[in-house]
Amino acid sequence: MESKSILIDYTHRQAGHCESGATSNLFNFYGHKLSEPMAFGIGNGLYFSYIPFLKVQFAPMISFRNLPNTVFHRSAKNLGVDATVIKKFKDPNAAMLALDRNLEKGIPTGMQVGVFNLTFFPPEYRMHYNMHNLVCFGKEGNLYHISDTVMEHRHVLTYEDLMRVRYAKGPFAPNGKMYWINTIPKELDIKSAVITGIKKTVYEMIKVPFPLIGVKGLRWMARDLKKWPRKHGDAKAAFYLGQILRMNEDFGTGGAGFRYIYGAFLKESGELFNNPELLEASDMMGKTANKWREFTYIGARNCRGRSKPEEDYGMLGNMLNEIATMEENVYKKLDKIKL
Amino acid sequence: MDEKSNPVYKDQRFGQSRELLFSYDKDGNFEKTVGFHGEPDRVILQQAWDHFNERIADAREKVLAGKVSPIVYYMEKNLVDTLNLSMLAGISLWRVKRHYKPNVFKRLNDKTLQKYAVAFNISVEELKKVD
Repeated sequence: MESKSILIDYTHRQAGHCESGATSNLFNFYGHKLSEPMAFGIGNGLYFSYIPFLKVQFAPMISFRNLPNTVFHRSAKNLGVDATVIKKFKDPNAAMLALDRNLEKGIPTGMQVGVFNLTFFPPEYRMHYNMHNLVCFGKEGNLYHISDTVMEHRHVLTYEDLMRVRYAKGPFAPNGKMYWINTIPKELDIKSAVITGIKKTVYEMIKVPFPLIGVKGLRWMARDLKKWPRKHGDAKAAFYLGQILRMNEDFGTGGAGFRYIYGAFLKESGELFNNPELLEASDMMGKTANKWREFTYIGARNCRGRSKPEEDYGMLGNMLNEIATMEENVYKKLDKIKL
Repeated sequence: MDEKSNPVYKDQRFGQSRELLFSYDKDGNFEKTVGFHGEPDRVILQQAWDHFNERIADAREKVLAGKVSPIVYYMEKNLVDTLNLSMLAGISLWRVKRHYKPNVFKRLNDKTLQKYAVAFNISVEELKKVD
């Protein structure tokens, strides 16, 4: 392959969440100021699901985020932007060739990757987690310039490494998924997009008729959490609790399972449309997020076996139930707001 | 909650990377700070790595005692379970389970070994022994 060096003038900014950060940076590249919380809210990043029968890293699967690529796809759709998402390439070389062609045209391209073999990633986070996103914006010979919004600076990856992470295997395998923006209208209709985004999030959190998703899933998890020490023994219960906390705090969330980012989105849109009710909802969401963080602090003490006697699993379960009620109130409030 | 302190962690794998963290204060502002994770986050990460390291050490002992094949050791080292390994290597579940037996592993042909080696990102020679 002939090597031509390309470097698109793309600004890398750090963000709390990989995909909404990538979406926001891509929009900014095309000259629209869309902050990270805004992209996150419009693209329905907020979610909760608890799937006890599916094990990820030897513990039940708990997700605080939507399926990969939802944020980009929905925010592009809601804002009326012409974007392309290619879900799957059968041939890895074809996927890399498509990326090269895009770079030659000067289009920064987002990709879904697996974390385990990502060389620049902090080693402590390298577990099998296939829902990470990054943007490629340049090429020099064998090296690709990568903007990973979770990291502070931009990085480079070799051709082989990039191909390996794009074809990571396992649950939610990326299969070389890539996405980019084709054209963007001069004026974006943010208001209608925000309304659609909030409606969809409210639906997903309290109205889905399935018990493991949204607030209902949160309650189900609280009930199971109380049973874990009796059912699995202390060591395994602590590990399962750790899984909740890891998904909540560590995997590129900006803290408290995205609740902070969502609160920031509600605040920003409340200020934009001068709506006091949205501001109130954002305050409630911020308090819920603080409660989540408190849950993490107490839970971490439990994991290390240094908890006070009253801070047992029953108390944690009750705390989760309390959080579920607090969140439910926020969504019910959002459901009634007329913008 | 002290994010400025730079504690040393047990596991060699812990680097120091700064991340963007959000917080909500009493005045109703969502603040962004770039900093290190607080201690609880480290505790739960450490817990996970302790768990994985224990499993790896366990598997290593079993392989050295000749009870299971080296595939088990490399599987634990790559933090996958049997189902995920079968996906990674593209070999059916029951065959993967069968290859855990040392006697069966010895008779494997090069093509199958190559599949495992690619899945673990190592060479075939490395696959035949544990380090």
